[in-house]
Amino acid sequence: MKQRSSEESKRFLKSFLTRNEARLGLSIVFVFLAVSIIITITGKSLLPYDPVKQNVGPILASPTMAHLFGTDNLGRDVFSRIVIATPNDLVVSFIVIASSFLIGIVLGAIAGFWGGILDEILMRSTDVIFAIPALILAMSIAVILGPSLVHMMYALMIIWWPPYARLARGEALQVSQKNFIESAKTSGTNTLTILKKHLIPNILNPMLAYATLDIGTVVVVYAGLSYLGLSVQPPTPDWGAMVSAYQDYLISAPWLPLLPAVIIALVVIGFSLLGNALRDTIESQNIS
Amino acid sequence: MNFATFVLRRLGLAIFVLLGVAVITFTLSHLVSSNPLVAWLGRASGNRVLAAEYIQKYHLNDPLYVQFGYYLLALLHGDLGFSVFKGEPVSEALAQTLPFTLQIAFFAILLTLAIGIPLGVLAARYNHTAVDYSISGFYLAGIASPYFLLALFLLIVLTYTLHLLPSGGAFSPWVIEPYPITHFPLIDALLEGQWSIFVDGLTHLIMPSLALALGIFGYVTRVLRASLLDVLHANYIRTARAKGVDETTLFFKHALRNASIPVVTLASIVVTWLVTGTLFVEVIFAYPGIGQYAVQALSNLDYPSLLAITLVLAVIIVLSNLAADILYAVVNPEIRLR
Repeated sequence: MKQRSSEESKRFLKSFLTRNEARLGLSIVFVFLAVSIIITITGKSLLPYDPVKQNVGPILASPTMAHLFGTDNLGRDVFSRIVIATPNDLVVSFIVIASSFLIGIVLGAIAGFWGGILDEILMRSTDVIFAIPALILAMSIAVILGPSLVHMMYALMIIWWPPYARLARGEALQVSQKNFIESAKTSGTNTLTILKKHLIPNILNPMLAYATLDIGTVVVVYAGLSYLGLSVQPPTPDWGAMVSAYQDYLISAPWLPLLPAVIIALVVIGFSLLGNALRDTIESQNIS
Repeated sequence: MNFATFVLRRLGLAIFVLLGVAVITFTLSHLVSSNPLVAWLGRASGNRVLAAEYIQKYHLNDPLYVQFGYYLLALLHGDLGFSVFKGEPVSEALAQTLPFTLQIAFFAILLTLAIGIPLGVLAARYNHTAVDYSISGFYLAGIASPYFLLALFLLIVLTYTLHLLPSGGAFSPWVIEPYPITHFPLIDALLEGQWSIFVDGLTHLIMPSLALALGIFGYVTRVLRASLLDVLHANYIRTARAKGVDETTLFFKHALRNASIPVVTLASIVVTWLVTGTLFVEVIFAYPGIGQYAVQALSNLDYPSLLAITLVLAVIIVLSNLAADILYAVVNPEIRLR
């Protein structure tokens, strides 16, 4: 088993950072992460206006220096509302991805390594979950749990792991047939150690690339659920819910529904670029 | 493995998956409330007569496995419960809304291919040039857009700014909907020779289908570009070129035809996207399909409708995956050997 030396990591990072995709993606993601962290720490104290306070400006005003993104139908500052909602989408997607990653890698590694009936059960149950679109299944679960951000996160956590298990299983299947695993087996190393030390480190890379790409998908699905009114309840701002609330002003103030929607797209683009660059770097390293 | 065995295996798998989906909706129906009657009647579960009828029909006083058996039996008979807010059985509400959604889906798939294939060809032909990069920027923006962004954007541009297309609905308010023969309004309009109604319905279809297509065409472009670049380096292309086949014939006849095969594997992604996106697109364009029905059911907490819609959408996905698998095996015999 090759341990990645610091030399190798450096080369990997260098090759990764020379890609334009990686740089652009990193900058976008960095901005959103920084805003999320600052908002989580400072709350609304740094914002120009209180995001839920009404009549801080005229009603439905166009963007000006005083109100960067204009004001909404209740005279609230849209910029403050959009900024304060930043952590919602990011926290939900990070937690959903992290849990899917963990569940997926454990189930997938076990299924791929042992094969047989365990493998069959895993594959067929993922087949079933794949047949129902994530958003629809999350919607049904959400109806049972009731609308809230945490419940949406639970709903997504329940349904999001199958692709990770599939990916881990496929990689584990490939890796487990390699010589170093065979020799570990014959030398009497116990199975748990083989999984921990040899198998899992080798399937991490492709899974990390997939997870980075997937963050954007969670953001889109979460925004959809929020748009349908299943997440944060008013007056607390959330991007998806803002689009649906401001949709009625599409003619008089088109920036109101468009701005939060474009911000969502921007987050997704950031993570897609990052994920693509990560995948390409891993592939080119494997070839060399 | 010969072709018949392959098809049978896939069919078996599809039936198994559908059974699994039924287990999930059955489980959900019992999680909705401690009283499973709520899942079949929603707010009407207080109605004694209906309640007694459904307790008897679904054997709700029997053990779970017996209930599941009767649930499957009811599903096979097309009985999906009663929708209170629609005031009719769920199966009837579905029969009315589904054709509208299938119309959107059909045109969305046509548009996806009509946009995705030429752009994929262009991106491969001019790869690593400004053309290639602008195309990838264009489709990345489409893929990254949340379901509602493209619909709102099209509304602003095509309706409110250019006044080209109607803002919503399936027909203009003054149009009398065609008499249902096939229940697909556009086909019915054609069958009845109502040309102006057909054109009116078609103009109402453009934006919803385009909004869906713009979100998904990027996958087609990306896969086609990659597979074209692969194929163009293949030996048989070099041979054909050496034999003096001209470049246009080479590209379109020899390369493009083979490179299109992997596009079939996208069916699953495309159908899942359409099924999800239709919820948002139909609400924004007030289109009376299954997506709008789902969102109405959601806001009315109409469990029978929600569970039935989940099931129907899963059936659509499973069937289209099955069709794509079989089609893929037809165009690419190699797959059957595995």
